[in-house]
This record gives sequence, C-alpha cells and structure tokens, in this order.
Amino acid sequence: MEEGLLVRKIDWGTVIDHIPAWRADRVLRLIDAEQLAKDPEVSVIVLKNVPSRKYGRKDVIKLYHHHMSRTDAALVKLIYPTVTVNYIRDWKVEKYQPELPDVIEGRVRCPEVTCISNSKRDPVVRRFRVLKEDGYIQCYYCDAIVEFSSIPDLAVA
Amino acid sequence: MGEVLVSLKGADVVSSKDFTRPMVERVFEVADEALRSPERFSGSLSGKRVALLFVEPSTRTYSSFHVAARKMGADVLPLVDPEMTSLAKGESLYDTLKMIEGYGVDCIVMRHPARGAARYAADVVRVPVINAGSGSQEHPTQSLLDAYTIRRKRGSIDGLRIGFLGDLRFSRTVPSLVYTLSLFKDVTMHFIAPPALQVRPEVELHLRKRGVSYDKVEKQSEIPRVVGELDVLYVTRLQKERFPDPSEYERLKGSYRVDMELLSNARPTLGVMHPLPRVDELDPEVDGTPHAWYFEQASYGLPVRMALYHLILGG
Repeated sequence: MEEGLLVRKIDWGTVIDHIPAWRADRVLRLIDAEQLAKDPEVSVIVLKNVPSRKYGRKDVIKLYHHHMSRTDAALVKLIYPTVTVNYIRDWKVEKYQPELPDVIEGRVRCPEVTCISNSKRDPVVRRFRVLKEDGYIQCYYCDAIVEFSSIPDLAVA
Repeated sequence: MGEVLVSLKGADVVSSKDFTRPMVERVFEVADEALRSPERFSGSLSGKRVALLFVEPSTRTYSSFHVAARKMGADVLPLVDPEMTSLAKGESLYDTLKMIEGYGVDCIVMRHPARGAARYAADVVRVPVINAGSGSQEHPTQSLLDAYTIRRKRGSIDGLRIGFLGDLRFSRTVPSLVYTLSLFKDVTMHFIAPPALQVRPEVELHLRKRGVSYDKVEKQSEIPRVVGELDVLYVTRLQKERFPDPSEYERLKGSYRVDMELLSNARPTLGVMHPLPRVDELDPEVDGTPHAWYFEQASYGLPVRMALYHLILGG
C-alpha cells in the first residue's frame, strides 16, 4: 500500500516525507503549524504510520498551498535526519536538501527558566549554537544544552 | 573574547570557556606583580570610570572589585542595591546598561541573577563587561583567583588531582573553575555530590570535548577514599532549599561536611578551598591546619582583580 493510494498528489505546497513513524505531531509543533490556520487556502494532510520502502513505516505531512520556510526545513532535518522536503509548484517537484544550521534563532526557548533569554522585560533574541557532532544545541547565553530529540518540546511560535 | 590569546585589552570577561592558557598565565603574572609591588599600580587607572552593577548581594566580589579600582585610581560608579537602580522599577537590563554606558564608563562589572546576563550585556554595550556572577551559570573571575591560589600554593596546576564537593549543580564557581582548570595538562577531576546536585551536563560535555579525565562520586561511602587521593578539595555550600525533600538534606549534610575526621584520610599536602561564605559544610577546626587554603584564597581576590583591570583597561 503506497501513500499515493491514501492521499492524492498536490499541485502546490510542501511534502515533508520520511518522518519517523508517529512523529508527525512533533514536526507540526516544530514548524508552528497553528499559524497556518490564518490562511484559509491552506490544508494540512497528515499521514501516520504508512508503509515506507526505505524505513518500513513513516509519517508524511503535506502542506497544501504553503511552502515551509527553508529555516524550518533545516530545523526539522536536524532533529529527524531521515526527513526529506519537497517543494511542489504546478506539479513540479523540487527536492530540497536542507543544510544543517550552525545557529538556531528565535524558534526554540531555553529550558533554563532563569536564563536571560526567558526574561519578559528584555528583548533578547533566543539563540542556540548547533553542536552537530555531539547531538546537542547549546544556549548562546546560558550554555544549557538540549538534545536534538527534545527540541520540539521547546519550540516557540 | 574568542581568538584572544594573551592581550585582554578592551576584552569582555564573560565566561571561563573563553579563556586560553596563555591569557590565564598572563593574569597570574600581573597578579604576582600586584602582590609584590602594589604601588606600581596606584593611579594606573586614573581618568577611567568603572561601573559596579550588582543586582544580587555580594561581599567579597564587590569589595575586591571596588577596592582594586580605587587603589588604581579609577572613578567608581556603584550601582549596588537593586532598590536604588531602575531595575527595581521594572526597567529592562538593556535600558539600565545603555544608561550606564551613557555616563561614559570605561568598563562595567556586573552581577546579575539571570544565567546568560553577562553574555547579553557584552552584546548590548560597547565597553568591556566583566562577569562578577551570572546566576548559577558562571563566576569567571573567581575561577582566576581560585586557579591562582592553586598555582601559588603548588607551583603548578598541571598533573593535579582536584575534587569538587557539595552542590555542584547550582554553584556558579564550580563550572568556571572546571573550565579554567581544563586548560592545564593532565588535571584529573572528581565530582563528589549526590546525583541531584551533580555537575551540569554542559560542564561534562565541555570536559569530554577537551579530553579531560573526570569521574562522578555519588556514593557517600566512597568519599573518604577519594579525598585520600586528592591534591585539592574544592568545597561548596550545600543549600537546603535545593533539595526537593528537606529530610534528604538532613540525611546528606553530614556526609558532605569537611572536618578533621574526613581529613584524617587526606595527604598531608591536600589543600582545602572554598569560595566562601561557608555554613556547616566546613568545620572551623580545619582553619588551624595546613589544609586550610580558603582565607588565603579569598585574599587573592584583590591582586587578581587588579590584574584584570590592568590588562583590560590599562597597559
């Protein structure tokens, strides 16, 4: 059973493919899918635990009428390296290979409540260095480290 | 500071992770000079203005930065009581820093309860920022005087076996000293604490990346044996409020107390250090023994901070 049998192809949008099975919700949180609700033309199609030739089972997210930012694509790839991102324009498919970022800005909050980046008074831009070889991101300000797999829990809009 | 090797002129002192060994040794050399011939430094910061922004209580750190600046002839702008600063009225740290910078200061020494506050401050203002304590994150200038103490007492830091005992998770002096000592050769570290107060994951990651040999000692029964192998024992306060269960504190505090009984296992040359203030964790009986390095350690706050001012603002 191929995914194509479950959901038809889209002519415009983004396909986030090869997400590990049952992890689609975490990806949606990471890319702040809720803000897509502001656009009445956008549909989000989520497939969970569908067969995959390569990985046995996988999740797939289709963002109909929405092109995910390349920054978000890189963030998703950081956490789930198997993920592939396809941008679709008039049925034409661009297979995008996101490069892993060196720095993540704005999208992740520091887990340390006493970190200056969680201050409500100060306009601090949240910033993490990506320690690619170690599998962590590290807060630029307070040095707290977060495993890649825990990043979705700390995603902010 | 990044690429800075020896010159500290105009540099921020935000984190001990930014230090290099030549830079630390340069601070030691100038501190030696400040101890030997303090008169050579008098008036050397004449015409400079130093702001001391202390948003958290401090005795030793504040007074040594203050006295050092005055001895060297600098104008001091003390902003010590948070009630006196606009921070208490809800002003952002950003606005406070900009206001201080607007007074034409040459350097801001800052203690703040938020982790990361010093890094943020260094990004906000153009003048050098010296971190005098950033929440439970770091206290880099304390680590310089701690390492300086070890170097004065032992001649060298290379090859030493150093134990850290007490609350290693919420202590700001421990991470900074670990980072500074990791610059030296063949230093071995033992972290002696219950699991809930063990050294933070980012500190361990730093040691792994630097290839420093360390272990965690979590069983109370092992403490006497480990203390017997050490050259230096760095003691920190065990704070009751850090324990989720107060009875756990009552149960553990005896095991993490440094007294003559524990030191009966120690080498004669073992040095006991403490950033002070102490509460119950370090028995006053130890004060009269050659193991007690902590008051001498505290006295090095002045020459080390004079050296920092000299290297950052003078020279």
